[in-house]
Amino acid sequence: MGLEVKRSLALSKGTIRSLYKAGISIGFALLLTSVLFLLTGANPFLAFYYIFAGAFGNVSLAAETLVRTTPILLVSLGLAISFRCKVWNIGAEGQLYMGAMLGTITAVALGNTPLTLIISLLVSIAGGLAWASVPAFMRAKLGINEVITTFLMNYVSIYLIQWLLAFPFRSPDTLFPESAQIPPSAVLPVLLPYTRLHLGVIIALFVALPLVHFLMMRTTFGYKLKAVGENPEAAKYGGINVGRTMFLALIISGALAGLAGFVEVSGIQFRMRPSLSPGYGYTGIVVALLGQNNPVGVALASIFLAAIFNGSTTMSRALGQPQGVVDFIQGVLVIFVLASEYILRYLERKGVLKV
Amino acid sequence: MLTPLFFLKRSRVEATGNQADQPPGSEFALHVKGVNKTYPNGVVANRDVSISIMKGEVHAILGENGAGKTTLVKIISGCLRPDSGEIYVDGRRVEIDSPLKAISLGIGMVHQHFTLIPSFTVAENIALSLPMTGRLSLDQVKERIKSVSESLNLKIDPDVRIEQLPVGLRQRVEILRLLCQDVRILILDEPTSVLTPIEVEDLFRTIRELKSKGKSIIIITHKVREALAISDRVTIMRGGRVVKTLMTKETNESELASLVVEGFCPSLKIEHGGRGEPLLIVKDLRVRGDRGEVAVKGVSFVLHSGEILGVAGVAGNGQKELVEAITGLRRADSGTILVRDFDLTNRSPRTIIKKGIAYIPEDRMRRGVILTMSVSENLVLKNFEDPPYSRKMIMDKLAMERSASELISKFGIKASDPWISVSSLSGGNIQKLVVARELSNGASVLVAEQPTAGLDVKASEGVHQRMMELKSKGVGILLVSADLDEILKLSDRILVIFEGRIVGEFSRDNCDIQKIARLMLGASA
Repeated sequence: MGLEVKRSLALSKGTIRSLYKAGISIGFALLLTSVLFLLTGANPFLAFYYIFAGAFGNVSLAAETLVRTTPILLVSLGLAISFRCKVWNIGAEGQLYMGAMLGTITAVALGNTPLTLIISLLVSIAGGLAWASVPAFMRAKLGINEVITTFLMNYVSIYLIQWLLAFPFRSPDTLFPESAQIPPSAVLPVLLPYTRLHLGVIIALFVALPLVHFLMMRTTFGYKLKAVGENPEAAKYGGINVGRTMFLALIISGALAGLAGFVEVSGIQFRMRPSLSPGYGYTGIVVALLGQNNPVGVALASIFLAAIFNGSTTMSRALGQPQGVVDFIQGVLVIFVLASEYILRYLERKGVLKV
Repeated sequence: MLTPLFFLKRSRVEATGNQADQPPGSEFALHVKGVNKTYPNGVVANRDVSISIMKGEVHAILGENGAGKTTLVKIISGCLRPDSGEIYVDGRRVEIDSPLKAISLGIGMVHQHFTLIPSFTVAENIALSLPMTGRLSLDQVKERIKSVSESLNLKIDPDVRIEQLPVGLRQRVEILRLLCQDVRILILDEPTSVLTPIEVEDLFRTIRELKSKGKSIIIITHKVREALAISDRVTIMRGGRVVKTLMTKETNESELASLVVEGFCPSLKIEHGGRGEPLLIVKDLRVRGDRGEVAVKGVSFVLHSGEILGVAGVAGNGQKELVEAITGLRRADSGTILVRDFDLTNRSPRTIIKKGIAYIPEDRMRRGVILTMSVSENLVLKNFEDPPYSRKMIMDKLAMERSASELISKFGIKASDPWISVSSLSGGNIQKLVVARELSNGASVLVAEQPTAGLDVKASEGVHQRMMELKSKGVGILLVSADLDEILKLSDRILVIFEGRIVGEFSRDNCDIQKIARLMLGASA
């Protein structure tokens, strides 16, 4: 009993540090964004107010934010697994496209059957997984740096899909380079009338999130991920197959990215388009870092980034500011997340903060 | 029986001999007064520590791991700031806020882990730490090295690359580098822990040479004999406090030992002999090192159950590669490794662990533990996939905690809580953790690589005690160590390894320490 209490205390100390770090990152990022607003002649307080109002101002706006959260969360949960193992999957964008493309092809090919949705979802998972397995194999067997391979394979994936959509899989009913519409049975049902809040939100928040949390925190695989990530030498010494663990971490993150892709098609777009993702695969990196590879943290960070995505549309309309501020915030967030450990230590040393 | 103590005893005579002409009460080179240091994690490392170092004196600071020795010298050398306390150099009050400042005051430290760049030459390494004026003149640096080394009889070739030098000479370069910076107070942190007996003798000669030139030397050690052999005065630290400072010639081994560890009396009974059937058979093993060179060149031996087989050798003669091949961490080019007739050559570490080979690695920080993970997680590193720690891939934290609490108390690991991260433990306690894990898995073979390196008297005794217990249960132990004292104390049989070959085998009866020491350095028997 006494030990139980102590453990929860010990846990909370690490959590407090993580929260401080997230707070520092967000604080500094918003501070720098405020400077940007001032330079372009906007009131930062007003700007942030519009961003907030645009994200959560009413039920349908909040529902839209959750819709936006879904692909970001799915991608970043996968990346959290891979980053926990210090396997830097920068290729979630390509894996997402590959999953979406293969899922769409399957859905269109199967037509309107009761199993279309579930089969297409599974195929999208397999698609992302397969796409990630190439750099995973190169990493685990040949020792080739996954940062380069995963990143470059994004281009292969996206251009390949552009070609597929322009020629073999071009929609017969529109003139655009996009796929045919998926059959109604492949569409994720809407949960809240008059909104786009679809079943994918449930899949992300109430299926994927708890599953990933359980996988990372309670299973031997989660232990291996952490051991390999923190000290591969000791992990090998302890009898863990380091290469296999890295391989699995990378393909699982690919699988979740693939799922995110098809959820986006079947919940929102209903067609595969070359412009399916506004960079969710990269946003996922920011989110996984900001959430410090903790599934709950990642969920909160996903909602935060989704809110900035959606809110900045409202903000830019109200204040005439460019929407590109989203990219700016994401960029500075990465920098400050990476710097937050040092900033926190600096503050601790100066006695400003005590953790 | 002759032991490496032989060397130390002789040097002691000389050391105390020199000490006689030292006028007592000469001026202090360094005076530390009332230093306190508490680490952010709440560990009090120094409490009201005061110490005075005289000019031209060799001063040993003796104590267990965690006694606060290293913290104290880190404060003196500017690596750490004290919470309170005063430091005087040559009678002047100083603030030492960086290692650079310490150097400018004439205080320099040789760390336990060397800070030389292996691919640079001696001169290039030394040039790095000399004041830069924008243009590097290696000739000037060489000139300086030459004048300093000649005045002190420290022979070294300034054009040789560090990686080509044996450890003893690398240490000499570290010392030389400080001397080129006009350091007058040299701090040596556990300088002998990496050296062979002959290299220790060389180091002691250097220390005496420095002393005769009026330098003050602070030597940190946990070995009582060493303190006796080389120092003029010795300060004993325990639990962050200074217990006492004594004139070395007025004290003896048992007094010092009892001051270092309150009420310590060595109780270990070593029993030799009584070996059983062959357990681990290594035949004609050839293994490559990191750079592709053949590091183990056809090694064969048999380890019996209930036997401690010592492998003596200077670090870097293939021991590392040999051990890694046996434990599955490195591929063998050819040869076989059998455990109870089961071929383990080039099998996975996991298979080898399952076949009952435990391994205490030399580099415990990098290989033995995962610093950022908790004590209980580290304790199950080798069996987290087995019940009761996990079932069907699901980990049982309660079972982990229960077994961790048990091991923590059984092995005396100082950890406030099984879930505390290993990085908050001291080096000695980390080693206890590794030993606890490796000895509690029911292995039949233990490969122990420098199992007591850096451990204090009590902790070493504890590790040796556990090894003897295992031996009496029929476990075969392969003890790989550069510490000849340890090998001689524990082994039933000794192999000497040099340049990847076994160059000598000694049973307890025909054990000739001089011959072993010579073979370790490559002399033909």
